[in-house]
Amino acid sequence: MSNTGENPADFLDCPAESINYYGNKPSPQVEDREKGRKPTPRANQARELYFSAKSSTSMEFPYWYTRRWEELDGEIPVIRRAESLKAGFEHLTPVIYPGELLTMGKASYLRSSYPMPWLSEAFFMASEDKLYKEALESGKLTADTFTTVGKGGGNVTKSVGKVISIAGKFGLRLEEMPVMLEVAKKWKDRSVDDIGHKYEQMVPGYKEKEAIMRSVICMFDSGYTLPQGREVMNYYYPLQYGIDGIIRICEEGINEVAGYPEMDRLYFYKAVIIMLRGIKSWIRNYAEEARFLASVEKEEKQKAEYLEMAGMLEHISSDPPRNFHEALQMLWTFHVGVLNEDAISGLSPGRVGQVLFPFWKRDMDRGIIDRAKSIELLECMRIKFTEIDCFASMGVVGGVLSGNTFNNLALGGLTKDGISAANELEMLILETGISCETPQPTLSVLYDEKLPEEFLLKGIECTKAGAGYPAWVSNQVAMEFLLNNYGHEGMQLEEARAWAIGGCLESSPGSWMPLNLDGEIHWIPGGSAPATSVGVHFISLPKVLETVIFDGVDMRTGERIFPSHGYKLETYDELWQGFMDYFSRAVHVLTLTNNIQHDAWRKISPSLVNSMLKPDCLEKGRDLGQMGARFNTTFNIESCGNTTLVNSLASLKKNIYDDKNFSLEDYRKAILDNFGYHTAQETGSYSLVDQKPAEHFSEYRKIHRQSLDAPKFGNDDPYVDAIFKQWEDWFCEMTHNYRSLYDQPMYACQISVSTHGPMGAVTLASPDGRLSGTTFSDGSVSAYPGTDKHGPYALFNSAACWNHSQSQNSQLNMKIHPSVVRGREGSRKFLELIRSYMRKGGFHVQFNIVDSRMLKQAQADPDKFRSLLVRVAGFTQYWVELGKQIQDEVIARTEYEEL
Amino acid sequence: MNNCTDCKFYLPVDVFKGMCKLSKQDILPDDPFCGKAEKIAKCKFCSKYTAEKDFLGKCMSATLAYPDMIAAKCVDFEWISQN
Repeated sequence: MSNTGENPADFLDCPAESINYYGNKPSPQVEDREKGRKPTPRANQARELYFSAKSSTSMEFPYWYTRRWEELDGEIPVIRRAESLKAGFEHLTPVIYPGELLTMGKASYLRSSYPMPWLSEAFFMASEDKLYKEALESGKLTADTFTTVGKGGGNVTKSVGKVISIAGKFGLRLEEMPVMLEVAKKWKDRSVDDIGHKYEQMVPGYKEKEAIMRSVICMFDSGYTLPQGREVMNYYYPLQYGIDGIIRICEEGINEVAGYPEMDRLYFYKAVIIMLRGIKSWIRNYAEEARFLASVEKEEKQKAEYLEMAGMLEHISSDPPRNFHEALQMLWTFHVGVLNEDAISGLSPGRVGQVLFPFWKRDMDRGIIDRAKSIELLECMRIKFTEIDCFASMGVVGGVLSGNTFNNLALGGLTKDGISAANELEMLILETGISCETPQPTLSVLYDEKLPEEFLLKGIECTKAGAGYPAWVSNQVAMEFLLNNYGHEGMQLEEARAWAIGGCLESSPGSWMPLNLDGEIHWIPGGSAPATSVGVHFISLPKVLETVIFDGVDMRTGERIFPSHGYKLETYDELWQGFMDYFSRAVHVLTLTNNIQHDAWRKISPSLVNSMLKPDCLEKGRDLGQMGARFNTTFNIESCGNTTLVNSLASLKKNIYDDKNFSLEDYRKAILDNFGYHTAQETGSYSLVDQKPAEHFSEYRKIHRQSLDAPKFGNDDPYVDAIFKQWEDWFCEMTHNYRSLYDQPMYACQISVSTHGPMGAVTLASPDGRLSGTTFSDGSVSAYPGTDKHGPYALFNSAACWNHSQSQNSQLNMKIHPSVVRGREGSRKFLELIRSYMRKGGFHVQFNIVDSRMLKQAQADPDKFRSLLVRVAGFTQYWVELGKQIQDEVIARTEYEEL
Repeated sequence: MNNCTDCKFYLPVDVFKGMCKLSKQDILPDDPFCGKAEKIAKCKFCSKYTAEKDFLGKCMSATLAYPDMIAAKCVDFEWISQN
């Protein structure tokens, strides 16, 4: 960087259009991505309907759930829970849209969701309500205040007419508002949130936890917000046994355990039977609706489809699927079934192409289905997954999820016996990812050197289409992590191969299940652990460093968060020690309070649908909360702002301790005065390159210049990479010192999702030169926007400076101009780029193939870009549904003009 | 006066709009009944529902209920006599 004058834009090396480039600037014409193919007319019609639909919430399920819950006061808790779920399922009004081949949804709208006050009820109360005020005071809602939600697309951002906006996203009909409040109040002091809160206050140092939440050092409590998810589904039992078959398994279980010790098994089996009867009714209600629609339908083809749908639903309401279409419907039904039992993000379908391959291959061999029909069905599947919404607070749905729900479909990897698992159905899944671009399910290729070139190039073709998927993840790095993490629970190499991505990027264990079709055994993979990302979510690393610099005080609010660390910070080692001390304090208290919340969850709201699906719950007679799953080392500690932290440490090390250019006091003053700039909240932009100077900005020119010029991660610079490695080695190891609710060691998880937006918003300027309120670096090993100046291979060297298998994940996001990877030669070059990163030991890389100027256009004129998709951090989302914090950050990312 | 959300041919798309199951045309939830409309079972059409205040009432004089809830799957639903 060079100081070119008084213009702050020049000072920040900000090009005229505020975009960071690596390599030559692109041609003047804004370039689109390589044109993909179009969806089938059926999928296109469904997608157009989706585009027109707003996120909508209703009270049907929570009303019946609560009503039944109250009726059963005094019943065994898990039975009470099962009866409540059953009441919810069997009263859901079915909605089937014309042209659908797959049906069923969370509730009675296209983009449906509903409140689950048994988990948490405060955030959707009126702001003047006592419950809401208590939640605000305890820091539970602070992140909401600093979250921006996308203003377009399907978000209901404000109340209009007879529609009430909740959390800036969900619409509720006015006539359902009073009952929502009444039902919510019934859960006061009885919800997971309230019960957990009652007992978490008994943790020594609890007040520090509240201060941590108010300062947004931690983003949210997982126990009552998103208690499940970030895991891989397992569809084996319904596919193999059907619902009636599972009921029979439970009845046999009851016969074996009734009256014997460990009586909880009896109640579990009985609860599963009750819950399944609710699901049977739910499916049959849909079948009945399909027959009703057929009875009033005049168009013969549509009438026949309704009747076929009715027959299919009637069959799978009892028995295993007979063909690929039924298997896909069964898979979808149970996916929604799990989503309806909890507030969930990141419920990944896993390796769907391998799970369903035996059904599909049999149908293809018998001539029951052809390629065209397969594509149509797979496109319909994409639409259904895209319809999934999760009802949560603004801080969670906007600040963490960006409106997405992270249903990740994995492809490739290895089979049980260690050869390539890629198959023809997966090729079609990639094909439909191109032809029917939608955010869900996002795709991930489990990259392994054994995967065939044809499959990898198909993945490249899909990535180039620009929807941000598939992400590329290392099969070998993940397996090494899993074997380290789950070895003590009995995982061996063969089982490690069954893994998949849960949520946006959480490596999750799986198991091979013996699907018997016509007497032939097919080993299909499926998840075999509960949520693999519950725990301490997320810790803002730059904010922790900020409190170290200011001796434990959050200078934004003036509130003391931690006791004085007692260091004079006269050496870099003292600074690092101060950071480790505060970070550890935060992890300690958050782990304990989080364990209590999850304990409340498993007692009040135990998982039944998901438990029934996961091996070995049925075998053990235990739900997921009672460690019924095969693998249970599943709590983690998540970080946010890795690179901003490391760049800040590098700047302080260089400018204070090594070169002695400035004192720590100089930095304190500059940080408090935001290096002489207005804050991001004042400018309305959250990107560093768009900030505006205040009148006195020249007072801080020198210190800001030298902070920006200090070594930056992502350039293969040993000075800063050594700091990065020191952080990673320490972080990944220290997490093992903390024990989960299940008395298992915790582990590191390093993804930002969208938290780098709101967490950046509450953080003052940082010593790396980042200004107050602007977004942190994304992912975990991404460079800070505009600071990676030596090309992708230098970035890879920095990113791979530590052993990624120490952590559940690492996350690298890159943005490449479409012209760089155009054509077949571009594809080859692109694949080699990815391959080189995987060979260096990188775990994950994902791409936006986009001209940043198009994003600027879309920000200025969103109505013209309703269908534009971008990759954020582990997920793809419609541009218009992203909050401005994340939009600005994606625009600011370095755009590679050459590889 | 009844509106489209009270009709068994109303297919909700979102809180703002829906479509007619018969005509496939886009309709609004507050559009008035047309000639082909037929009531769907809702609490407000049930003899066991008692209205208490705006958008709230009681089911069988005991349990919280609300008038616009679809009751097609409620085993206790009973059309009020004038219907």
